[in-house]
Amino acid sequence: MTQSQVLMELTGVRKTFGKVEVLHHIDLKINKGSHAVIFGPSGSGKSTLLRCMNLLEEPDEGSIKFMQDEFGPGDKTNKQVNRKKPIELRRKVGMVFQQFNLFPHLSALDNLALPYRSVRGGSVKDAQERAAHELKKVGLLKLAANYPSELSGGQQQRVAIARALSLDPELMLFDEPTSALDPELVGEVLGVMRDLAESGMTMVVVTHEMNFAREIGDLNVFMEDGNVVATGGADFFESCTNERAKQFIGSVL
Amino acid sequence: MDEGGVAPINFMWHLVWDYKAELFKGLLTAVGVSICALIISLAVGMLFALARMSRYKIVSGFATAYVNIFRGIPALVSVIWVYFGWSLLFGHNFTVFQAGVIALTLLYSSFFCEIFRSALQAIPKGQREAGMALGMTRGKIFKSILAPQSIKIAIPNIGSMYIGMIKDTSTFAIIGMVEVVRVTQNLNSTYFQPFVLYTAAAGLYVAIAFLIDFIFRNVELNMAYPPRGRISKFLNRKKKASVEKIISST
Repeated sequence: MTQSQVLMELTGVRKTFGKVEVLHHIDLKINKGSHAVIFGPSGSGKSTLLRCMNLLEEPDEGSIKFMQDEFGPGDKTNKQVNRKKPIELRRKVGMVFQQFNLFPHLSALDNLALPYRSVRGGSVKDAQERAAHELKKVGLLKLAANYPSELSGGQQQRVAIARALSLDPELMLFDEPTSALDPELVGEVLGVMRDLAESGMTMVVVTHEMNFAREIGDLNVFMEDGNVVATGGADFFESCTNERAKQFIGSVL
Repeated sequence: MDEGGVAPINFMWHLVWDYKAELFKGLLTAVGVSICALIISLAVGMLFALARMSRYKIVSGFATAYVNIFRGIPALVSVIWVYFGWSLLFGHNFTVFQAGVIALTLLYSSFFCEIFRSALQAIPKGQREAGMALGMTRGKIFKSILAPQSIKIAIPNIGSMYIGMIKDTSTFAIIGMVEVVRVTQNLNSTYFQPFVLYTAAAGLYVAIAFLIDFIFRNVELNMAYPPRGRISKFLNRKKKASVEKIISST
């Protein structure tokens, strides 16, 4: 058995909002090419944990190692480690939001081209060509000139996925990507995510779509009250021994 | 002695036509001063809005104080300060035009500060987060995502404010700016036809308000998502053609 390469490692991540600690000392390893699924009851800290992975939330304590680089507050007494700025992590990690967060004042094409150009530079034409190429992959090239308000929720989320992918991320984070969608639009978004998983992209997905989680998840993480309660591989849904996780799975499947 | 009657009133409406060139020139001056002040105070107002939302208390405190002071000062007082006060204190004279622009900018940048602050706060925080998650810098996020959206939200308010700015130029008669009211005063001292002349002045202000409303409504259409209206179609035609070319060649 070959040792998988660790892409992201969280050590001792703590996060408080005001006086409430929402993440208590989380340790987690994400291997390159793996598809991690985080699930659990609402308020368990799933989204906060995901948002710590690109430092949209800065942990109060703990370290995030991504490839060779260290992020987060870490061990403050150790000056040897050169801690990098959040923007350097964000440029390698893509994120898809529950509410899509497309830029409403830009066409689908420019929703991809604007951030691409602002991060990579180059001409508007090059950025737009790259954008068109990415939109084609999610089957939305024909709608590239449309504004977000002219797209369905499912289409908007596919544009958002294409936007994150256009910057060639090493890791993709999905924060309940289908929770804001009408039921009949969920399928098209999951389809794009399934293709992405099959292409070998490393993914971390916070979701309530347990069937989808079961299908793609090779690292399943059950969270409750700011703790990782149980983790397991692809067979987690069948072989899990943790009572609370079993109970949760039973109630949603 | 008391005749008890009323003297026959002779409205000399022809004066308006006779002096249309002077009145129109006065209107152009008013528009010129207020447009210069609008452009500067939009920029200053946006800076103050950012300052007001700053994490640093000293910066936000300064902006808050500025807004509360200058929002409360009448245009007449402001222009007297700038034109006469500055000259007395520093021995440097602004031209009448400069004094007018500065006076309006001092007042209206405080209004625009508040307009932009509320507009920026109306943008969902996901917009900023999306920009951050994509690895954009703070400056780029502001310039390309937050500023355009906040300006769109603010446009109707900016239009109303601009009409107010033009009206406030009427007080600049006091420093001798030959704008609408000054022209009216001059004519009135010759003909003593206050009702006719000031009605004409009012008519000019109302007419320009209609024009400004028309312009701002078109700007609003052009800034809609997606842009609407014939003017925006015309302005965006080249961009659209190039996007269509990219789509068809991919």
